[in-house]
Amino acid sequence: MKRLDPWLLLSLLAISACAYLAQGSTARALAAPGLANRQLVWLAVGAVLLLLFAFADYRVLARFSPLFYVVSIAVLLALFVIAPLRGGTRSWIAMGSYTVQPSEFARVVTILAVAALADEYRQSRLNFAAVWRMAAVVAAPALLVLLQPDLGMALTYIPILLAALWLGGLPWRAWVALVIAGFVLVAGTWLWLLKPYQRERVLTFADPERAPYSSGYQQRQSKIAVGSGEITGKGLHSGTQSQLRFLPAQYTDFIFAVWAEETGFVGAALLLAAYALLVMRIFVVALSARDRIGAVFAGCAGFVLATAILVNVGMVTGLAPTTGITLPLVSYGGSSVLATCITLGIIQSIWRLRYANV
Amino acid sequence: MTFLHDDLRPVQRRVAAMLAVVVVALGAVLVRLWVLQVVQGPRWRSAAENNRLRRLPLEAPRGMVKDVHGEVILDNRPAYQLLLFPEEMSDPARTAAFLTRIDIAPAEEVRARLEKARRTSHLPSVIADNLAWSQVAAIAAHRAEFRELEIHPATRRSLPPGATIAHLVGQLGEVSPEQLAERPDLRPGQLVGRSGFERAYQDVLGGTPGNLVVVVDALGKQVSALDEEPPVAGRPLEATIDLTLQREAVEAMSGQVGAVVALDPRDGAVRVLVSQPAFDPDLFAGHLEPARWRELTSDSLTPLLDRALQALYPPGSTIKPLFATGALRDGVRTLDDTVYCTGAVNIYGHPYRCWQAGGHGRMALEQAIEQSCDTYFYYVARDAGIDRLASWARTFGLGTPAGIELGGENPGLVPDDAWSRKARGQPWYGGETISVGIGQGPILVTPLQLAVAYAALVNGGNLVQPHLVPGKGGAPRPTGLPPEALAHVRRGMERVVVGDRGTARRLGSLPVRFAGKTGTSQVMRKKEGVKWYELPWEQRHHALFVGYAPPSDPQLLVCVVVEHGGDAASVAAPIAARIFQRAFGPKVEDGQVTAAVPPIWQNTSLPPPPAPNGQIGTPGEVEPAAAAPEPANPSNRAAVRPVSQPGPPLQAPPTRQ
Repeated sequence: MKRLDPWLLLSLLAISACAYLAQGSTARALAAPGLANRQLVWLAVGAVLLLLFAFADYRVLARFSPLFYVVSIAVLLALFVIAPLRGGTRSWIAMGSYTVQPSEFARVVTILAVAALADEYRQSRLNFAAVWRMAAVVAAPALLVLLQPDLGMALTYIPILLAALWLGGLPWRAWVALVIAGFVLVAGTWLWLLKPYQRERVLTFADPERAPYSSGYQQRQSKIAVGSGEITGKGLHSGTQSQLRFLPAQYTDFIFAVWAEETGFVGAALLLAAYALLVMRIFVVALSARDRIGAVFAGCAGFVLATAILVNVGMVTGLAPTTGITLPLVSYGGSSVLATCITLGIIQSIWRLRYANV
Repeated sequence: MTFLHDDLRPVQRRVAAMLAVVVVALGAVLVRLWVLQVVQGPRWRSAAENNRLRRLPLEAPRGMVKDVHGEVILDNRPAYQLLLFPEEMSDPARTAAFLTRIDIAPAEEVRARLEKARRTSHLPSVIADNLAWSQVAAIAAHRAEFRELEIHPATRRSLPPGATIAHLVGQLGEVSPEQLAERPDLRPGQLVGRSGFERAYQDVLGGTPGNLVVVVDALGKQVSALDEEPPVAGRPLEATIDLTLQREAVEAMSGQVGAVVALDPRDGAVRVLVSQPAFDPDLFAGHLEPARWRELTSDSLTPLLDRALQALYPPGSTIKPLFATGALRDGVRTLDDTVYCTGAVNIYGHPYRCWQAGGHGRMALEQAIEQSCDTYFYYVARDAGIDRLASWARTFGLGTPAGIELGGENPGLVPDDAWSRKARGQPWYGGETISVGIGQGPILVTPLQLAVAYAALVNGGNLVQPHLVPGKGGAPRPTGLPPEALAHVRRGMERVVVGDRGTARRLGSLPVRFAGKTGTSQVMRKKEGVKWYELPWEQRHHALFVGYAPPSDPQLLVCVVVEHGGDAASVAAPIAARIFQRAFGPKVEDGQVTAAVPPIWQNTSLPPPPAPNGQIGTPGEVEPAAAAPEPANPSNRAAVRPVSQPGPPLQAPPTRQ
């Protein structure tokens, strides 16, 4: 236990506390008191998983990553058959009274697979074959998720590839080519893949006055909630925007708005600081990893976590379009919490074994 | 496990770069939070308040108005209003379609109201009034769909007397943008008095609207009431109007166009104020449909015009008592002066006819009033000149608004040389003076002005301010007219009814005594040998009668103007007589006939006027005032009736109950 990183655990504890309070508030607004307690249970189970993975050897996990990867792809494929259509997507499977979102776990497996792959190319720059293999490893689950369709989740796979390529090293010409390819991809996605409501969301983000009562409504209500919190907030359970349900999807995508409204700038900055500490410690782990697997895994995981936080808070504060990306650990969702905790467990394992001579 | 050395330094450099980027991005998000929450915080807080708070106007019930006997003129009854919250409206076209479907109004009208509500304010405003039950139910059923609509219980004005009091009470209307700018305590959509009594006493009747601040959730559902500012009901008022007489006047005027004003000549308290044709004032109690409005405004008989105060008429012969008083005061005439009327005179080389083709013979002042001799007054006018005529008219308040609370009064016109130069760009033409002498020509009065002028004649020479609420008239202004002059003129006016040659003598046999003066003002030049009832309506003369009762102690003064009535004595005077009958005539109470005013056979009158030469009514050339019955006169009892008695009245008239 002593060999685990205390700062990472501390920040996790702080974030969990915020998550419980915020979920408690929104649970009251939605008259669903079970939500907050469930989230607490998930966080507790997550803590156990974290310790479990922390005392496992990440290198062993990496060796078995092809197996995990194949199983994940299989499950993602199976979703098209066995998952019920919920909210227009097939991203959930029922396990008893619980539902599981396999794409969350598939993302951890993908990061692990990319890290294992990176270990095969121990050179300062990645070659063409390495880039293609990494891109394929990330693209396969991402495309399956996109087809569910779950655009927000699919988007969270992109940082994995970006981080892996960045850490592996690419000549600048390759980056230019990548940007162009990205452009083409985005344009293609816009033209052929996005549903009209998804396009509308992006357009609304670009011009909030476009439809003040439909797509722009959510973001406007979110900004009102955050802004009206002012410095010290309205007090827990006293946020008018959340308690009177002006805030949409407040226990998932917009949970940060609930927190910011009720605790003000002070609370929001505190939560952001906890996240900053968490992300910083993850990068410190990446810096002190003993091998490439550890460095790439921690780097990718840290980047994925950081982008999720940034995009979600950006969305809540009106800096980014509403993409359906949740706030790690605080947004309600067992799968997300557990997957994040597993990731953090593996990172603790990397930290624990940084001097290991085995 | 692998023996190949792996150089991790480039990876670590890139991790550091990544960390730097993430830290910068987190810093940017923190700045964004700072801007939203600290810098723009107050703005977003008010946006949040607007989100959750609704100010519902609580309309204050308007004050009740009763007449002088306590009968209700204006009251309230419950009704449902439709409120629109403009900020909640997402799709005006859809809302308009819905409102049209449930028959709130025709499509374009609904659209106009929504547009107006949106333009006026972000506060809720009333877009429909007096909703039917089916409409209330339909709106309640679609509540989730149309969050901008809200049913609001309110009250609506009820007017039990209906059209009888149409012009008097005036109209309620939505407060105009100008009024809103002036009076911040008023709200958009609030109904306020826009005219008549409702406007004059808006401050008393209107009360103060309240507010209900409620918290609503995202679905617009009321969660709780936060704060209530109860409305303060308007105070009740007791008007001077006598609905019994008002109804009698409307009935008597039925089928006619014109006005009736009745007031207490002692203080100016208005008892009757009628303008015909009228309209249903209930149309204006809520939101008036444009179609109905167009109908009312395009009517050639202008039912919206309050003829009692806004229409101008040549006073005709009703001006004669006023000029007679002036002539006596200024010494233009004495009681001794007589004129021989041959039926036509030539003044300034122009022939002027008396209405009596054969002439009246020798006329003194009282007789000239009794028989309405034009010739007598032609000469008075000639001798006085226009400026003196104008000053007499002004002494009686003509030419200026009478000052009733209702406002919108027409000041009338008292012409003189100065007016002629200014308005017509030419000096006064002397021939016109002669016409003005009999109330023709450019002189114009409103029925109310005429009533106030006569009140001064019969109340001892005081100009009263007509008013509708007791005590609002102010003190009467003395005109300084000599009492003797007034007494003579009043005797003349009594003889109009009871004199055997009086122009209204046919009403002398009624069981109620009154005095007054007829006036038939020309609309067109008289046609020879054509009876008035043979003329088309719009060519007939206006029929006027101003009377008062009881003659010895006037308590009620009635001014009747019937447009194109044709003949004053047979059309206007009977209308006044009906009102006097209703006010003073015999009433059957507990099986006993009671009368407020002694019947005709207990003849009373004024004390004898002081005769200029110590003689009464026998100036040299003048026929005796108490004329002997003329053989040609087919009068029955009236012929032997003494007109005025020297000596005190037999019986003091009891006051009106």
